[in-house]
Amino acid sequence: MSDDHDHESPSAMDRREFLRLAGASIALAGLDGCTRLPAENILPYVDNRPELTPGLAQYYATAMCVDGCATGLLAVSHVGRPTKIEGNPDHPASLGASGAIEQASVLQLYDPDRAQAARIGSARTEWSAVAATLAPSALQSRVGASGKGLRLLIEPTSSPLDEALLARVLGAHPDAAVHMYAPFSAERAGNDLVPHYEVGLADVIVSIDSDFLSTGPFNLRYARKFADNRRIAGPSNPMNRLYVIEPGFTSTGVAADHRFAVRPRDIPTIAQALLASVKDPNTRSTPAWVGAIARDLTAHRGRSVVIARDASPAVRAIADDINEAIGALGHTAWYAPTPLIGRSVRISPFTELVDALRSRAVDTLVIVGGNPSYTTPASLGLSSLIRSVPNAGYLGLYENETARDVRWFVPMSHYLESWGDARAYDGTLSIVQPLVNPLYASITPADLYATMSGQSGTAYELLRASWAQSGTGNTPDAWTEALKRGVVAGSAYTPAPARPSASPPRAAAPTGATGTIDVVFAEDPKVHDGAFSNNAWLQELPSTITQLTWGNAALMSPATAHRIGVANGDGVKLSAGERRLEVPTLIVPGHADDAVTIHCGYGRIGAESVARNVGVNAFAFAPALFATDESGVSVAHGGARSTLAIAQTQPMMENSQPVRTATLAEYRASPTTVGIRPERVLSLYPEPAPPVGMHGPNQWAMTIDLATCIGCGACVVACQAENNIPVVGASEVHNARIMHWIRIDRYFGEHEAAVDALLQPMLCQHCEKAPCEYVCPVEATVHSPDGLNEMVYNRCVGTRFCSNNCPYKVRRFNWFDFNKDLSETELMVKNPNVTVRERGVMEKCSFCVQRIRESEIAAARDGREVRGSEIQTACQQSCPTNAIVFGSLSEADSEMVRRRQQPRAYSVLHDLGTRPRVQYLARIRNTNPDISNGV
Amino acid sequence: MPALFPWWANSVARASLLVLVIIVVGVPIALMVWVRTSFATGQHANVKQPIAFDHRVHAHALRIDCRFCHSSAAIAAPAGLPPTAACVGCHTTALNESNTLAPVRASLSTGKPIEWRRVNALPDFVFFDHSVHLAKGVGCETCHGRVDQMAQVSQAQPLTMGWCLSCHRDPAPHLRPESAITTMGWSAPVDAAALAERLMRTNRVQSRTTCTTCHR
Repeated sequence: MSDDHDHESPSAMDRREFLRLAGASIALAGLDGCTRLPAENILPYVDNRPELTPGLAQYYATAMCVDGCATGLLAVSHVGRPTKIEGNPDHPASLGASGAIEQASVLQLYDPDRAQAARIGSARTEWSAVAATLAPSALQSRVGASGKGLRLLIEPTSSPLDEALLARVLGAHPDAAVHMYAPFSAERAGNDLVPHYEVGLADVIVSIDSDFLSTGPFNLRYARKFADNRRIAGPSNPMNRLYVIEPGFTSTGVAADHRFAVRPRDIPTIAQALLASVKDPNTRSTPAWVGAIARDLTAHRGRSVVIARDASPAVRAIADDINEAIGALGHTAWYAPTPLIGRSVRISPFTELVDALRSRAVDTLVIVGGNPSYTTPASLGLSSLIRSVPNAGYLGLYENETARDVRWFVPMSHYLESWGDARAYDGTLSIVQPLVNPLYASITPADLYATMSGQSGTAYELLRASWAQSGTGNTPDAWTEALKRGVVAGSAYTPAPARPSASPPRAAAPTGATGTIDVVFAEDPKVHDGAFSNNAWLQELPSTITQLTWGNAALMSPATAHRIGVANGDGVKLSAGERRLEVPTLIVPGHADDAVTIHCGYGRIGAESVARNVGVNAFAFAPALFATDESGVSVAHGGARSTLAIAQTQPMMENSQPVRTATLAEYRASPTTVGIRPERVLSLYPEPAPPVGMHGPNQWAMTIDLATCIGCGACVVACQAENNIPVVGASEVHNARIMHWIRIDRYFGEHEAAVDALLQPMLCQHCEKAPCEYVCPVEATVHSPDGLNEMVYNRCVGTRFCSNNCPYKVRRFNWFDFNKDLSETELMVKNPNVTVRERGVMEKCSFCVQRIRESEIAAARDGREVRGSEIQTACQQSCPTNAIVFGSLSEADSEMVRRRQQPRAYSVLHDLGTRPRVQYLARIRNTNPDISNGV
Repeated sequence: MPALFPWWANSVARASLLVLVIIVVGVPIALMVWVRTSFATGQHANVKQPIAFDHRVHAHALRIDCRFCHSSAAIAAPAGLPPTAACVGCHTTALNESNTLAPVRASLSTGKPIEWRRVNALPDFVFFDHSVHLAKGVGCETCHGRVDQMAQVSQAQPLTMGWCLSCHRDPAPHLRPESAITTMGWSAPVDAAALAERLMRTNRVQSRTTCTTCHR
């Protein structure tokens, strides 16, 4: 986990000592294989476990909440140890997919930095000791019979159980209040209604400042539906069209057919111009592309939508007007009740809590989850306000910034340790089912609320009682069915008949002084608002566009950087009024000029060792609550230079063109020139078919559709979880020693006036004529009869010849023993079906061979051959857009084979004659012929 | 001028060269021989168990099927060891006061598992699966030997990679019909070749020597 390897770095060592050690290690290396296996014990269970067979994985349906909105998951358990997360195909927010955050959540369960004990003051104690002070009678003696001085500040939740228990807490303390806060929650809209979009029904989609494909609730569902209308099977098929108007460069922006980089202060004007053009086609709009988009929207009346979910309330209201004008409202866009609680319990505005804290009217403040001391703007001073409360307490996963400000602290259970319930963004109800007993002495929010309302019982008993009362799962059968499927059928909320009546005031576009910069405070697709910043898998996941790992930066366009006079890594000083922030620069082609994007969730200073001092805290600079951007900030060169851990430093494709791309019109005009047919690859040798030695009944292969890849990184983290891939830390990423078996390459392509980015998931291509195999002196990488390029760790001696000879640069070398210093809990996340590699060994994508062999064995037990479509690789399984399909070439009617028969299929670096088993489908962009520039 | 080297120096030089050759050639040979010895492989090693469990009684005299206790052998990778409750199932009536069974009773009352010592160990980079071997017609005896004659179970075969491969290269002679999977002391019928040929076909047995068969 740690990014320093000082203990292994070559220290000051003289030549003689080096030779002596080298000689000794060579002599000992030969003896390594001669030792006897260590003695081991086998510990069978004591009682009968009919439901559990060691060696067979179990799957349990559960749900994970981010800002209160649930995503249904299937968690994989090996003898009671959750090791992997998959999406639940029956759940509306997942549809079988899972994002990077969901994939990485299993590492969070085992995080050794999680809080492990309760405390009052600095004295360690038990939960029961804290509970005694929270019982209704004890609290009433503190805050009076009415409970006037009692406040609860909870993270957003949609749990009916929590709602019922909170209602009882308010019953015991009538004048107490419950507040809810998270910086990027649906709650920030302040409405009971939340916007929904049917992306799958829209042929024309306009996204205004909304990264709906990679952040926010339902992003997996939107990505799936978006891709379904984009995955054209042939040149004549229809394809949707996406316009994105945004300041920064997001995953949604990469997926766009036309992307317009607009700084925040101009977005309301653009939205207003779009509305005017939609209402009256004769309006002369500036810029001209606004008119073209408006014509496209109206031409697809009823099959188009404008998405402004994450934009300012004013822009959202304009988008509603546009949707009304193009017949989208109630069709492809509608409002539905918020899934968050607030029906049977009153949720008071967060600002009321701030006022009460300022007037010293709060005696007891109970904070449940979240990290408000960190995620509120520093200018609000919430941290010191919490410190001034006589009896403040916090139930949290970590001893983070908020935990420092409170008197008592209780560890919270991870969702994989908790019984509970939660709603998806559309209201669909799921049970949160634990896979393990709590690793530490932790409790769930329900336990806390039950104590505060004087009830007894475990979280499970409370949940059953709550369900029995609600009538949702009244019968044992309904309960079992809900547990098993992970969703309660028909529990989604019905759409509201209208849009929110009270439209927020149409504020005039904010104007900053000329020469100043707009700053965007963006939700981070990886660490969210900092809730996941102690997760090393997410910290080391390269950001889609910037390829930045381990930190954030001031992202700006080349022109803006030139104007300020900074290069990558140079510090810039942001200043607005009294507020100051120093951030390292990172230049992003395609970013809006005169704007800077900073991702939130970094610069943590709590007790979390992975997150601490990684990046810069954008909340420290944010001007006000829920502010997503600020105009009129001065930016100047200054501050320390930093080394940024960027995973890919090559910005352009140069001549080899690994990503092929065409517009839909070009593809239709000349389909055969887009891809490259295998027969066009020249070779001096006759082509054996099948290749020599490949005679297995299945011939494994993969097809990746670049038209639908949005670069969300779910595949990267899924692969890391499935294949026990180590984390190397920022300094080793900088040394180009990142270990991911699948990476998402990003190339910038420049057009007349705008910048386009191309993405390409790159993994071992499993070449039929693999260059790596020819050069291995010990035959540690060889070919299997079923077409896999095998890597045999126990043979590898680490010459690294294979990596040198690999044209795709997908082989990874274990420079250090990355698993040596892992804690006992971190070892528990390892997949027992994959070898944990040690130092000096090469590794790379295996096409999830453990899954292939397991399926073959299962088929052999049934006395049949395995079918290629039975097997999913980890990357394919997690992919929200179904861009990756795996299978057998011998199964001619499979999706994988059908896709690679399209004219846009091609192999990367085909001219080297490697005959890769991974084929790509060229990226097709459905551009609007009326828009000449802009991408 | 006296001689720079004494008279025996040439002999020492020659002897040193000889010793060097012996070391360079001999040490690797010695190591290769050593790893094949039963001491290095653990074959027939004496592994003392916490309970003097006698397979002669259970497997031979009482004729209990192997899969009664090793219940996941046909369905999962590990063959499985019985939970304490399975021992107690019979031993509530049989030998319920025996001193030998004191650890079983202790396990049941304390809830702590019995710590058996592993006899047949493979390195962590080898992924062996019992179920597929049973499905293909490899009997217990083939790898584990005459367990029914062992008072204390020991490793019957070397379990080296070469030994595994000897069967993976040519599985036919090592197959037996499903009815004889757990049979101890099974002898092939007269028409062994015909049976092997039939089993290879019906059980879809192939020679599997590609690395990822076992190393993943």
